[in-house]
Amino acid sequence: MTAATVEETHHVHATAGGGSPWRMLTRGGWIRAAWMTCLFGALGFGIVVLARWGGGWHPILATDPIVLVSLLVAAPLGFLAGLGAFDYWTYYALGGATRPEDHSGHGARSWKDYFRVNTDHKVIGMQYLVTTIFFFLIGGMLALLVRAELAKPGMQYFDNQTFNGLFSVHASLMIFLFIIPAFAGLANFVVPLMLGAPDMAFPRLNALSFWLLPIAGIMMVASFVVPGGAFACGWTGYVPLCSTHQPLGAVFFNQAVQWAGASSIMTALNFLVTIITMRAPGMTFWRMPLLVWANFTTSLLVVIATPFIAGSQFFSMFDHVMHTAFFDPAKGGYPLGYQHIFWFYSHPAVYIMMLPGFGIMSEVISVFSRKPVFGYRLMALSLMAIVVLGFSVWAHHMFVSGMASWLRVPMMITTLLIAVPTGIKIFSWLATMWEGKLHFNTPMLFALGFLSMFVIGGLSGVMLGAVPIDIHVSDTYFIVAHIHYVLFGGSVFTIFAGIYYWFPKMTGRMYDEKLGKLHFWLTFVGFNLTFFPMHIIGTQGMPRRVSDYAPKFADVNMFISIASFGLGASVLVFLYNMITSWRDGELAGSNPWRGMTLEWLVTSPPPVFNFDEIPQVVGSPYEYGVPGAQHAVLVPSKATEMEEVPV
Amino acid sequence: MRRGSILTLIAIGIVAGGIATAVAVLLPWLPEPASREAGRIHFVIWFVIVICIVIFAVVAAAIIYAVTHFRAAPDDLSDGPPIHGNTKLEIAWTLIPTVLVTAIAIVSAIVLSRNDAQGKDVLHVNVTAQQFAWSFSYPDAGGASSPILRLPKDRSVLLTLHAKDVIHSFWVPEFSQKEDTVPGLTTTLHITPDRLGTYAVICTELCGLGHALMRTTAVVMTPADFDKWLKSQKQASTTKG
Amino acid sequence: MTAITHDEAFGHDEHEHHGPPAAHYSSRISPGVLGMFLFIASEIMLFGSFFTAYFFVRVVNGTPWPTPPYHIPVQVATVNTFILMTSSATIHWATTAIKKGNTWGLRAGLLLTFLMGLSFLITQIFEYLRAGFNTSDGAFPTIFFCLTGLHGCHVFVGLSILLFMTIRAFRGHFSAEHHHGVEIGGIYWHFVDVMWIIVYMTVYIL
Ligand code: HEA
Ligand code: HEA
Ligand code: CUA
Ligand SMILES: [Cu+2]
Repeated sequence: MTAATVEETHHVHATAGGGSPWRMLTRGGWIRAAWMTCLFGALGFGIVVLARWGGGWHPILATDPIVLVSLLVAAPLGFLAGLGAFDYWTYYALGGATRPEDHSGHGARSWKDYFRVNTDHKVIGMQYLVTTIFFFLIGGMLALLVRAELAKPGMQYFDNQTFNGLFSVHASLMIFLFIIPAFAGLANFVVPLMLGAPDMAFPRLNALSFWLLPIAGIMMVASFVVPGGAFACGWTGYVPLCSTHQPLGAVFFNQAVQWAGASSIMTALNFLVTIITMRAPGMTFWRMPLLVWANFTTSLLVVIATPFIAGSQFFSMFDHVMHTAFFDPAKGGYPLGYQHIFWFYSHPAVYIMMLPGFGIMSEVISVFSRKPVFGYRLMALSLMAIVVLGFSVWAHHMFVSGMASWLRVPMMITTLLIAVPTGIKIFSWLATMWEGKLHFNTPMLFALGFLSMFVIGGLSGVMLGAVPIDIHVSDTYFIVAHIHYVLFGGSVFTIFAGIYYWFPKMTGRMYDEKLGKLHFWLTFVGFNLTFFPMHIIGTQGMPRRVSDYAPKFADVNMFISIASFGLGASVLVFLYNMITSWRDGELAGSNPWRGMTLEWLVTSPPPVFNFDEIPQVVGSPYEYGVPGAQHAVLVPSKATEMEEVPV
Repeated sequence: MRRGSILTLIAIGIVAGGIATAVAVLLPWLPEPASREAGRIHFVIWFVIVICIVIFAVVAAAIIYAVTHFRAAPDDLSDGPPIHGNTKLEIAWTLIPTVLVTAIAIVSAIVLSRNDAQGKDVLHVNVTAQQFAWSFSYPDAGGASSPILRLPKDRSVLLTLHAKDVIHSFWVPEFSQKEDTVPGLTTTLHITPDRLGTYAVICTELCGLGHALMRTTAVVMTPADFDKWLKSQKQASTTKG
Repeated sequence: MTAITHDEAFGHDEHEHHGPPAAHYSSRISPGVLGMFLFIASEIMLFGSFFTAYFFVRVVNGTPWPTPPYHIPVQVATVNTFILMTSSATIHWATTAIKKGNTWGLRAGLLLTFLMGLSFLITQIFEYLRAGFNTSDGAFPTIFFCLTGLHGCHVFVGLSILLFMTIRAFRGHFSAEHHHGVEIGGIYWHFVDVMWIIVYMTVYIL
């Protein structure tokens, strides 16, 4: 079947537009979402008031539980239901007949299709990417506000609560709404293609996972407008500060993390099932591209670790809203319990934010070096090693927390050992480039930027892993420097590399190479000027999370702030390039990079159902330089053969 | 690999390492240590920095060499040699980092246990943190208390830390050690000041609105001055009581 | 590792398919069952975080269990345990029945399971009302309510799934060839039962 016929059958099934006013109100979409959001919000309000009245709790109109149940839980559910995320499941649960998948929610024919519950993994991937970049801009602007305040000692523009809110929301948006979901978005687009699958295993679940994200993001940003201001306890939300000493905004954080976490668990589950059950014939585990391996291992981390942050936020929220005693020492609670539970997720989370990037690097470096990935199996195994070790190091964030001191040395050893599998990856990439034919297109530049910057960030991580050093630099700007070297120099550089690398595949058009290179150099220089000096003021004694600091740090901070605005400006180049190239860039063709993995065998953008016939995998994905080697062949379908018979 | 290219590679490595060493040595990184523990901690820092510089130089040399020597012309559509791996190399870059991090772990563990070992004639100080102030009391001296921390030089001090409301953290950059104060728990920190002077006490755990301003000073005095001060405090508290 | 060839593939849909080519099945396990197992893995971790909180309060902090003057109604919970264990047997009966094509066995089994789950939940609600303490009365009540409450929520979800399965069973949607829905829902119910035994042992018995 050709792409054209797919398109036709498709139109028949698409829900017809227009119709009676009643249809417009009840059909899944934005109109129904609007009134169902209100309806569910009102129901939530009613339930709380009724329950408090029945239980005899006073005051009946307590703000915290009402806002939590009605605004943060019920109303978003109403929104999802209204948009149509649950339509099929409701129909099924109420006993509707099983019907063959009609793909009515699949694919995009106009921009409007990006604003509904779409089940096409490619559409969802784009939805993810655009949404996450939007939140990256907001998070970045908050960072620039932080830098503005810190340009001079003393208080300039904000009061303390607002300042603490600024960096808390900055970090939460960057982590939960940019890095983690941006990787999920890239993988959403690429993984099924790379596997030779028509879609993800659970397309409707995939759609739902996406739509949870805007909810989480809006909740975090909206916390600025609730009375008392945004949550201001850092992205780590330590208790008892966050549970009992914070305004209502803290609950927005607790609950937003639940939405984002649920989204990421569902996506991870989807990836795992897709990778296990939907590989094309011939695609053994040892023939999977390393990007697929990376997302496989990341998804394992997500499924196992994320429930722990859910738990930690439930406890903190219950302490806040229901006055439970998880962490209240006066009532027998244990404050350090929060940190253990939180870091048991959040350390693995830093690898959730890095392993997919490692996958992108393997693709980019091998294609632009025209060489097979060096030590393919060890590359995959080191990913697994990082997953396993990643679960045994959480307390390195707690070396100075007052936890049991016998835990420190074992946690230090496991922490330091993580340098070994990571080092294997770094050295293997270097060996992949060795004697290759290097092409310095923008993705490759970002890959090289990643290699150098991540090593610096990793080495500062190793310093932190050594307990005596951490005792000196913990909670200083040295940590802030480490964070940004691994998260910006690591994750963000790989995300940029991935976006440039698959931009032709996603849009069918080429980005502007000159602007791409300009973006890279501005980012690379701006990044180092902004974040490198932070190491120094950190070891010298400037603590993190402060709005005011000793005058001796004034000059360096002014320098950092100026540099950070330059870094911010570099993002504008990126945006301009993306928008103009998407509209009227040069046509890219199906395989501009001469890659071997499966996504390059189909048109750009790929057909609605990816492959007309499931491809046959015949070899490893990186056989550059091996004459005649192929990763996969497309078996021409019977339909096409028939059409091609000359009349 | 050719002899010449190995030499070039080493030369680049030495330059990169040299630059990194210059950054490490010429920039003012650490405050002048003011306690014995800080001296040991600084030793660990420098020990690890040396290892980091070596690794950074290796990686930087490889990248720079590759970028300068393996650049392909834009119209060059050929592929590189299909090298899939090399077991000896892979073993080397697994084992060498393992040895290095083991060395770091051993040095760190030794310093940690030395720093935790207490000397004779320990001075006990109770530290209480609350939003947003510090207070210090001296149980050996009848509970004399003070808003600034006074310590005698060269005597082993055991700080016992408490928090009244939320978590705070006690840090004096010149002592190079910090420890959280946790409500409901008692934590400890062991310090042997060895340099006279006045230093800043900084709260390093986000504790709310006044976190940035939660500061006081630590004064290291000669033992004689300290004893005199402590006696005067004791008298003040008994006359009050 | 050997890949499954085209011939072994069982993914080709019986429904008439217009659109994508059916995906190649590269594993013997069906996506639904695998998805349920992974979901249960993350559920176990969620319970794990609650048990960690329990561990910190009871073991690390040494909070007396139960903290006087409160009591834990062990007898009621024991009765409830028996109810839930029996319901595991009935759901098992229901699934084996439908595999043999016995639709009435399925319906009876599902109904019985549903009723037992419901009585468990109602008993638990009454237990809460008579507990004599509230969530805000200290660390012991907090952990008690949150652990049993988390499990109660899972019973509620399990009951909803059972309800949908029962509706579909009475509408005749399941048959000897077509009973994936029953199997997957059944796995979840077994998980809820096993989890209760762990909650029961740690909260009530130990
Ligand atoms: C992408 C995210 C990411 C990544 C990948 C890492 C990677 C690492 N991190 Fe980092 N970390 C964070 C994100 C990340 N971190 C964040 C966000 C925080 C702060 C949280 C907060 O409090 O807000 C943090 C904080 C943090 C701390 C706590 C500091 C404190 O608060 O006191 C520690 C302590 O051990 C640490 C260690 C490490 C180590 C050892 C690695 C290792 O995985 C690094 C391994 C890599 C290398 C070592 C480089 C390459 C290796 C070689 C070239 C081989 C040879 C090397 C040797 C022989 C050394 N990190
Ligand atoms: C991936 C994660 C990520 C990223 C990308 C960044 C990016 C940046 N971060 Fe952030 N940061 C964190 C994660 C991240 N950060 C974390 C986890 C913390 C710890 C928080 C905590 O303590 O709890 C932190 C903390 C943190 C601090 C310390 C706050 C404190 O402790 O007091 C500072 C201070 O300088 C800072 C600065 C910056 C800057 C200048 C950028 C720059 O890179 C930003 C670049 C700018 C932009 C991307 C904006 C571009 C937009 C425009 C130019 C406008 C265009 C607008 C429209 C078109 C609408 N960050
Ligand atoms: Cu006290 Cu920060
Ligand atoms: Cu960590």
